[in-house]
Amino acid sequence: METTDLNLFVRTSEETISDWDRSKIVDALVRETLIDADTANAVARDAESLIRKSGIKVVTAPLIRELVNAKLIEKGLETTRRMHTRLGMPIYDVDSLILHPNKENANVPHGPEATNLTLAERIKKEYALLAVFSQDVADAHMNGDIHLHDLGFIDRPYCSGQSLEFIKKFGLNLPHSLSMAKPAKHPEVLLAHLVKFAAALQSNFAGAIGWDAVNIFFAPYLEGMSDDDVKQLAQMLIFEFSQQAVARGGQAIFTDINLYWEIPKHFENVQAIGPGGVFTGKTYGEYEKEAQRFVWKLFEVFKDGDGAGRPFFFPKPLVHITEKFFRTEGHMDFLNLICDVAADKGNTYYVFDRGDTAKISECCRLSFKLDETDLLDAQQPWRMRYCALQNVSLNLPRIGYLAKKDDTRLFHLLTERFILAVKAHKEKRAFIERLLSAGEDGPLSLLTMNRDGMPYLRMNRASHLLGMVGLNEMVQIHTGEEMHESKKALKFGLKIIAHMKLLSDKMKRQENIRLVLEQTPAESTSYRFAKLDLHHFSPASGRIVKGDVATGEVYYTNSTHLDVKVPMNPIERVTNEGLFHPLIEAGSISHIWIGEARPSKGAVADFVLKTFRYTSSDQIAFSPEFTICNTCQKTWRGLQDMCPSSSCNSLDVDGITRITGYFTKVSSWNKGKLGELKDRYRNGEYFSEQAIRKVV
Amino acid sequence: MGTVKIFYSNDCPMCPMAKKLQANLAEKKVNVIGYDVETADGLAEASFYSVMSLPTVVVEDGMENGIGEWRGKVPQTEEVLHIVTSL
Repeated sequence: METTDLNLFVRTSEETISDWDRSKIVDALVRETLIDADTANAVARDAESLIRKSGIKVVTAPLIRELVNAKLIEKGLETTRRMHTRLGMPIYDVDSLILHPNKENANVPHGPEATNLTLAERIKKEYALLAVFSQDVADAHMNGDIHLHDLGFIDRPYCSGQSLEFIKKFGLNLPHSLSMAKPAKHPEVLLAHLVKFAAALQSNFAGAIGWDAVNIFFAPYLEGMSDDDVKQLAQMLIFEFSQQAVARGGQAIFTDINLYWEIPKHFENVQAIGPGGVFTGKTYGEYEKEAQRFVWKLFEVFKDGDGAGRPFFFPKPLVHITEKFFRTEGHMDFLNLICDVAADKGNTYYVFDRGDTAKISECCRLSFKLDETDLLDAQQPWRMRYCALQNVSLNLPRIGYLAKKDDTRLFHLLTERFILAVKAHKEKRAFIERLLSAGEDGPLSLLTMNRDGMPYLRMNRASHLLGMVGLNEMVQIHTGEEMHESKKALKFGLKIIAHMKLLSDKMKRQENIRLVLEQTPAESTSYRFAKLDLHHFSPASGRIVKGDVATGEVYYTNSTHLDVKVPMNPIERVTNEGLFHPLIEAGSISHIWIGEARPSKGAVADFVLKTFRYTSSDQIAFSPEFTICNTCQKTWRGLQDMCPSSSCNSLDVDGITRITGYFTKVSSWNKGKLGELKDRYRNGEYFSEQAIRKVV
Repeated sequence: MGTVKIFYSNDCPMCPMAKKLQANLAEKKVNVIGYDVETADGLAEASFYSVMSLPTVVVEDGMENGIGEWRGKVPQTEEVLHIVTSL
């Protein structure tokens, strides 16, 4: 029978209805899978026969493709089927996505833009697993041995860190933009450039966008401005980043602003760029007072909170505490201010740069430590552009179950998984390099723009992150104790991370790429791994996963953290968690959950000072909890089920606290994080000044 | 008697002296353990003691309380012996 004899219509992917034409199947098979024409013809005839027998009058292109795929499987042509497969989603899932919020990332609101983002992510995720990564890597991700983060953003690097200097010097001149702007002459314009450039970067990176030394690089623009005007600018900066819910997928830009009280040594003698992108003739060291004025005002705004007195979710202010900080006039007043903000609103992140360490921080905990060549770049800060290409996390408890308490097997499996993660990095890198090779006409044109003799994205400086989830549970499975329970268990945990650190050093040399360990924020990964292990390693896993198995609110402890529910002196927690931090080059954090407590600024300041002096912790943050009433718009301390106002008592309330490294509404959290939230030990009782002094 | 823990690597300039100290103390029947920070065991132990410079020598009593330490330098054998024998 000729194909045209079939009284059949096809709904094509070009939104037309065409007559049946078997040769189109043949053409697609030959073009997409490179099989020979005879085989393609045979497969097409078989598929046609199946459709004819069914009596169907109108078929869709996706259905034909799947029927052809079924015939390919019958003929044992699995590789051909993989090449011919289609990506997409069942109508039920799309319906559900449009109607219900996505809880994989609490920073994604619910709305048409968010749905677009999620749908696109689903397709790209499938594409990544089929076309970017090799089958063993994809399978390891699917079965939960490893987690390839942000697969839905496969065609972009993971996150980036840079300074304002690039836009100060070159203006806003982006590839394919409708207009170009010369370097800003006024602070408000510089701010506008910053926000627009951040939005452009968000479209080219999967995650966080970090900005270095924001108050310092703004300083040359602030001379002559009144304090009120500087505060106004600070307010604009914070509100702009906290309300950028019109960007990609309706997400606020995950923005980190790095701030200093002092001018750090590596910027002290750098020539400052001022209005119009010209050098002012002064060094940044000479702008210390202006930089301090700005950072002070920024924290005054953080202290006020938003229009309803709530903490700002973004930008995240990361204050670097260096040795020079303590030699800089006014540091104690500033420390008290930022600790007041930490105690009241929780915003402040304290990044500890001890000795000669210098860092740019971004994301939940990621930071780039600046090496000697980076410090040379600091002389021309517009060149300081860093990125992480991808993050791959290992499911450590899984290795624990499989090793059955055998040390040799445990370390062997750990090494195997690590090597697989490195393979995943090489595959993503090759894919990104392919996209970049198309230059300014390609999909990553922004990252290839060349304004200073090198592409914006400096691939030779790109990091590849190796994370870990559930060290505490792995140690528990292997030794019978959680890490807080004995020195032996804690040391075993250190040995695991030391092994990973040595592996990363070795593979860095071997593969000639920057491989670094990172504490995985694991907002959804700790839930995903726990859920998968409950399925595959029951009943053992039922005794190990944290949370509530009955309700499905299960999770593994994040990265190298200690069990969140154990009542423990926070100093002891920060000290013991801090032991891991020097091994984790790309950044770590300890959280101090304070619930509804409102410690004094003095108690928080004392804690920060002790952490800097007596621990090796990289970073800490204090996390209070809030309830906002959507009826009366008031904000209350602590998580409540109903508005505490006697004149309101509305049940329409939202909780706010940190999910991992950022604040968000609890209603958007996944089940694993909700389980963790219920377990978190709040340290309220420790935060009187006397209590801190007594325990240190 | 306490324990002396010595942290070293293969390529730090003063580490040969630290290894010599380890040998000297072992000869005097002191409980001494050497840790190469280029191994997982050594690096884990070094992390536990927040060793940031090499070589480092740590002396602990029987209850694992620190009673002496030299970070980034190597003490004389007698100095260490004095502390260990005073327990």
